[in-house]
Amino acid sequence: MDNLISANVAQRPLRTAISVTGVALGVVLIVLFVGLARGMMRDTAERQANVDAEIRMFPSGGMSLSASTLVLPTRYTTAFLHGVHPTLEPVPPIPGVVAASPVGEWLQSGTGAIGFETIDGIDYKSFIQTTHVTMFQGRPIGDGSAPGSENEAMVDRYYASNNKGVDGAPVAVGSQIKVFDHLFTVVGIYEPSVLARIKIPLHTLQQRLGGADNCTFILIKVEKPEMTEAALAALNHSYPNNNFVRTEDLPALYARGISWIEIFLNVVIGLATVISILVILLAMYTTIIERTREIGILKSLGASKGFIVMSIEKEAALISLLGVAFGFVVSIICKYGIEASTRLRIDLQGRWLLIAAAIGLLGGILGALYPAIHAANLDPVEAISYE
Amino acid sequence: MRKLVLETVDLKMTYRVGKVDVPALRGVNLAVGEGEYLAIMGPSGCGKSTFLHIVGGMLRPTAGSVNIDGEELTAMSDGERTDLRRRKIGFVFQRFNLFPTLTAEGNLKLAERIYSNTNGGDPSRRREVLKLLRLEDKIHHKPLELSGGEQQRVAIARAVINRPAILLADEPTGNLDTENSQIVLDMMRGLNNDFGQTIIMITHNPEAAARSDRVIEMRDGQVVGSALPAKEVIR
Repeated sequence: MDNLISANVAQRPLRTAISVTGVALGVVLIVLFVGLARGMMRDTAERQANVDAEIRMFPSGGMSLSASTLVLPTRYTTAFLHGVHPTLEPVPPIPGVVAASPVGEWLQSGTGAIGFETIDGIDYKSFIQTTHVTMFQGRPIGDGSAPGSENEAMVDRYYASNNKGVDGAPVAVGSQIKVFDHLFTVVGIYEPSVLARIKIPLHTLQQRLGGADNCTFILIKVEKPEMTEAALAALNHSYPNNNFVRTEDLPALYARGISWIEIFLNVVIGLATVISILVILLAMYTTIIERTREIGILKSLGASKGFIVMSIEKEAALISLLGVAFGFVVSIICKYGIEASTRLRIDLQGRWLLIAAAIGLLGGILGALYPAIHAANLDPVEAISYE
Repeated sequence: MRKLVLETVDLKMTYRVGKVDVPALRGVNLAVGEGEYLAIMGPSGCGKSTFLHIVGGMLRPTAGSVNIDGEELTAMSDGERTDLRRRKIGFVFQRFNLFPTLTAEGNLKLAERIYSNTNGGDPSRRREVLKLLRLEDKIHHKPLELSGGEQQRVAIARAVINRPAILLADEPTGNLDTENSQIVLDMMRGLNNDFGQTIIMITHNPEAAARSDRVIEMRDGQVVGSALPAKEVIR
């Protein structure tokens, strides 16, 4: 081998492997965590987009995007349409409102105890008036009050094609799945994906959670989109202690609500950078100590400080480059592994792959800077006499 | 009169060991002509290696002057001395000091790259040196695949590949058996004869010194004898 850089990298395969793995770890951290966050956000946004209702009502005291409690009386739906206040004086119907559907939400542990999955409790008849949902296979769930319908469930096509029932077979009409640690029979598969992937009767959810006649939020559909503002004004006027949000404003509210994700991602990126820097710093510093005599030889040959710094930096860059490539391979394997075994989605974006590569490379180059400068400043006579 | 490639005037070097000053050179005056083959002898600790390191630009002297091929070394910064070493000095050490991860050719190419800052080098010069040192069939071997004598020949080839003004050899046969020592000394003589290479060699070996044109004897940091014919050393 005639190239000092590649020869040095090949000389200590274990050291190189550990350094490459360290850099790869940083890359994987960035790619997977960012991909996971982006994937979940995109997935949620897509499912929100299929809601046809222009307004959503949340209980007083704030909007909870991941609520799992039933505190909002479902009687509001009747009030909006027919002008009967559920608890106080009767008020006129809200002009323009043509449908209102209560939805209960519940969070349970995800498949294999990884993450969470949301369960929607719905009233199917009103739900289809506020969403684009149609049945792809089977039939809709019942209302949960009729005998036999309380343990019915319907799932979206994504869930059906990516999950298995309790019998281990892919989910299909007739399969049984576990919700609340109870078996539910899948009676239908719907499309497109809207809100949670698993839907059970609202009545069942209320029974299970002890929140009789309550829901988490209400989807409100107006006759024409241009009537939304007027309906919102009327809703706020008639029900001042509640939160009414335009559906189209939800993505921005979600983004604001999950701003901690950005902070978390920045922490991950910082952590990955520190890992890359430390791994390369330690590896290259050890290398410099091992190769003190060789640095002395370089100096005796007339190598300038710049030449020595560049030699060490090139070696670090080569190791970092291998680490980045290895990190990408591991990330892609992890993505498919995680997506196959859980319902999590990982979104690998070119921009973030580039950022991860840049951090891996820059971290390595920065990490090698101190050892490189240290090597360049070694006394040539002491270095060449080093035992 | 030969052109001088090295001239030292009242060269002094004092090391600071703890709180004690230890003089290593006490005013060395020496002039070496172009194409000369000079041997420096003397007991251990007499300042031979210190002298070689100063002349090679690896150490800055405490006082005096060193002129290498027309350039005053003592006034130079570290970077300038490194540059001068790169352009005008070739080093050969007792312990060969080859890069173990590189082949013989890789070691030569590295020296060429440091010298010229390019990857090309001078293939004809490389062939010429390898032929003289009889290394043509060893160029793809790594140091550990070579005998001690072969390693030292590669080290010599590396030292002269860029046509230095002076080849500085610090006990070049110190780690070799008699047979390999003879081969290496023959080749250094050949370099001097065929290429006119100026050589300054430190040695404890009278037979090695006998191959040179002139022998300098050092004691206690001073030149105590110079211009001695090699035959007198042997005798």
